Amino acid sequence: MPLDIDRFAHLETSIHRWDPRLKILSLGIFIFGVAILKSIPLVFIALITASIFLKITNLPFHFIVNGIKWVVFFLAPFFVIMPFSYPADAAFYIWKLPFAWEGLRVATLIFIKAITIVLTTYAIFGSARFDISMIALQRLRCPKVIVQMLLFTYRYIFVFIEEMKRMDTAMRCRGFVMKTNMETLRVMGNFVGTLLVRSFERTSRVYKAMLSKGYQGEFHTMVVFQAGWKDIVKAALVLMVIGAIIAGELSGSFNTAVDGWY
Amino acid sequence: MHISEGILSAPVLTAGFVGTAALAAITLRKMDMEEIPKISVITAAFFVASLIHIPFGFTSIHLILNGLVGITLGIRAFPAIMLAIILQAILFGHGGVTVIGINSVMLGGGGLVAYFIWRLRHRFPSTPRRETIFGGIAAAVSVISSGLILALALVTTGEEFVATAGYALLAHVPVMVIEGIVVGVCAAFLAKVKPEILAGQVQKTPMGHHHAT
Repeated sequence: MPLDIDRFAHLETSIHRWDPRLKILSLGIFIFGVAILKSIPLVFIALITASIFLKITNLPFHFIVNGIKWVVFFLAPFFVIMPFSYPADAAFYIWKLPFAWEGLRVATLIFIKAITIVLTTYAIFGSARFDISMIALQRLRCPKVIVQMLLFTYRYIFVFIEEMKRMDTAMRCRGFVMKTNMETLRVMGNFVGTLLVRSFERTSRVYKAMLSKGYQGEFHTMVVFQAGWKDIVKAALVLMVIGAIIAGELSGSFNTAVDGWY
Repeated sequence: MHISEGILSAPVLTAGFVGTAALAAITLRKMDMEEIPKISVITAAFFVASLIHIPFGFTSIHLILNGLVGITLGIRAFPAIMLAIILQAILFGHGGVTVIGINSVMLGGGGLVAYFIWRLRHRFPSTPRRETIFGGIAAAVSVISSGLILALALVTTGEEFVATAGYALLAHVPVMVIEGIVVGVCAAFLAKVKPEILAGQVQKTPMGHHHAT
């Protein structure tokens, strides 16, 4: 499972060149704007907008599909549960189960919203190195402690995945096969424990090394953020689009998903 | 176990962020710089361990382990779980950005519950099984508490989600059993091998005194 969201941070596009602070701020507002939408045509417009952002970032298709795969996997059950459980008059019955269009519409709304938000997240964090995104977060007044821990954790995740793969190989060499039984659970308990102990010991060595090099709870960086007029125009464009979408929502010219498709 | 993007209503999402901010402020109080690496280690290990899938009949269940974070980090479990959720939202849109708040309250809250149960073990005589039992109960209760918060979030969003909330809660039962066993075993393992990882574990010092870490 590829986890390094910033694999394509080296590309040169106008979103990559965008000041990370303004990028995170304006696209972040876009995301929260999308989250409050209630009508299907408007979230659809948001989806198209997010797809355009992503098209501009030039991130490879397979890379994005990988992220969306999870959303589809998690939300697919809603298309089944919602129409059959929605408290409204049934349009018709399938095997005596009441089917309500309202439920299907709500499921559709949820689905499009989720994809839109994930696509926008990819546009934000896929277009800059992770450490730079984090420093930008720090400049946006996100608490220092949290940013520090995010950076540490991000680094460790890759180390531990490697560690876990080695342990897994070793277990399989000794003939371990996962089954639904007590023995598997006991082995997994010890596996997780060993992973913790190894990770802990390894990182305390790293920490001592960092201390001896003068670490005092802060990372220093050579990165200088500079927002020019282009950066501001980009942010303003994003805000205008989401502002227009929300205005459409508030004007009441579209039905909410519960009341109709459009 | 996550609430995905797009389901919950704006008031519930907002309540999630407010709750997260409040809990983070409380649980991050008086934090030493030296604690940052330990918290990050456990967070990363927690993140990685949640990638483990255990076969369950025809399907498989992935470990949540928020109870384990609770019994290793104590109240710092909350910020740790919050960080793991932020990273998951950023790294694979698993969950999502607008649900960071509510997911943190849900899983982090479970972690805190686990810690409060774990602390009670000192009131019982030290037997070889004590850590297993308390670790197991702590993890199981933490999973079900998270499930209840999830159900509550769904129900308060709208009555159309009542049925979904019921199924979600039901789906937590097997997870609760599996987590309970895995974390119970793991707690006993850690108590033997490296007790200082566990929160508030009383350990013998070379001098023969007892002190809590």
